[in-house]
Amino acid sequence: MEVIVEMNQISKSFKEKKAVDHISFNIHKGSIVAILGPNGAGKTTTLSMMLGMLEPTQGTVKIFGQHPKDIKVREKIGAMLQQVSVIDRLKVREVIELFRSYYPNPMEMEFLINLTGLTPSDLNRYAEKLSGGQKRCLSFALALAGNPELLFLDEPTVGLDTTARRKFWASIRELSKQGKTVVFTTHYLQEADDAADRILLISQGALVADGTPEEIKSRIVKRSLSFLSDQDSPEFRQRLIALPSIAECYDKDGRICVTTDNTDSVLAAIFTGGLPVRDVRIDQGRLDEAFEQLTQNHEEAV
Amino acid sequence: MKKKVLMQCKAELLRIFRNPYYVFWSLLMPIMFYFIFTRVVNTGGDDSKLWEAHYLMSMTTFSVMGSSIMTFGIRLVEERTQGWATFMQITPLPGQIYFLGKMFGQTMMHIFSITLIFLAGYLMNGVSLSASQWISSGLWILIGSLPFLAIGTLVGAMKRVDTASGVSNAVYMALAVAGGMWMPIEVLPKIMQHISKWLPSYNYGNGAWQIVRGHSPEWSNIIISLGYLVIFMILSTYVRKKQEVV
Repeated sequence: MEVIVEMNQISKSFKEKKAVDHISFNIHKGSIVAILGPNGAGKTTTLSMMLGMLEPTQGTVKIFGQHPKDIKVREKIGAMLQQVSVIDRLKVREVIELFRSYYPNPMEMEFLINLTGLTPSDLNRYAEKLSGGQKRCLSFALALAGNPELLFLDEPTVGLDTTARRKFWASIRELSKQGKTVVFTTHYLQEADDAADRILLISQGALVADGTPEEIKSRIVKRSLSFLSDQDSPEFRQRLIALPSIAECYDKDGRICVTTDNTDSVLAAIFTGGLPVRDVRIDQGRLDEAFEQLTQNHEEAV
Repeated sequence: MKKKVLMQCKAELLRIFRNPYYVFWSLLMPIMFYFIFTRVVNTGGDDSKLWEAHYLMSMTTFSVMGSSIMTFGIRLVEERTQGWATFMQITPLPGQIYFLGKMFGQTMMHIFSITLIFLAGYLMNGVSLSASQWISSGLWILIGSLPFLAIGTLVGAMKRVDTASGVSNAVYMALAVAGGMWMPIEVLPKIMQHISKWLPSYNYGNGAWQIVRGHSPEWSNIIISLGYLVIFMILSTYVRKKQEVV
């Protein structure tokens, strides 16, 4: 698979503070990659270095095999930054036209206008008069003005309502099908899980996990069973913990919980062993739990 | 490439003329001053015709100097603080074309101001100059604005809009008063008059004042203006280079 982005041992320090610490990864053509992490983890710094807006203190960034600042690279990328800025005193339509003129093979005007979802009267308003959400839609259209092969989105759905958000991700999937590569940052775990086919989990400037959402979940998340018992006793607990494939046993919300890698075998063992349990529930591990675990573990390690 | 330049120039032109501050600072205020000091209080002494032409040049240079320092400078700061300048960095538009567009918009606006204020002088007081005087004074004012545009880029390097507008306003007014644009420098104390002769604003104004008196701008006017242009350009390049290091 064609490598589009190459990040090789990247570090970035601001004065004393290390914002990004030896991060390396490659991004392949056509993938949708989420850079996930809590606030201040170094997501935007990482993205800024891919965009050539910041120079890494150490390491090399290559986009399409070239330096990010190369004009050939800029003609093939589009970006939506976190700080939505609109040029003032130009009408929405004029701004889009202006941006199209910057690129050798711009996207169709009609397509971009549809993408903004703005009404004809809004298109004739000054860009700075739009609402926050509308401005984000406009900046999405501007990111796509050059029909880019690689798209960077920094927290793209902040300030969008549910409908706009759904529409936004639908467009992204459509673009990905056309072979475009998408890199976005988010601290919404659900969003990374839903939209991305690969997650780079960043915590305190370091890459702590890299894989598909499923891989990350299965690696970290232990499934758990919870139930009630009318004959709860230390002896009962001992029998429970002695069962194969149970990792630990604890109480939560008045229920007895056990964590395991394999819920099926635990269920089988409980029933064949005739343990007095009722109201059994299987809790699927959630990505946000995995996320918390990962980032917290990392904090403890430091 | 040609299309990029055209689109950028067109966009900047639209933006500048849609700016309401422009109308007030660059047109309304100088024309109002002109009306007050030639029609309401006449301070010109004996030769009122000459005063009317002289003061017309004062107000035109005052207008163009203002838009060069303030409009230009503050817009640069605004574009940076709103993140627009950062956003432009990731587009393939070369920085030179972006700057060219800005200069084009600014020049068109200056031509428009000069024409309109000259017209106001003609309509209000029937200022009559020869065709070559109108044209050469207009050109002098247009080209002579370069050192002030360089000051504008210095203002544009400031971090906050508030600071930039405060500082540029103070510099603008001080230069206007001390350079004899509001009142001829003869009314200033002797010491101030000596200082004035070295200020960019006096040399800018004096070139035009000489033209309406049938002379050419003095060599000192040209040399001092060029000197300021070079100094401010070097300063501005230096500041910019320093800011770029992240």
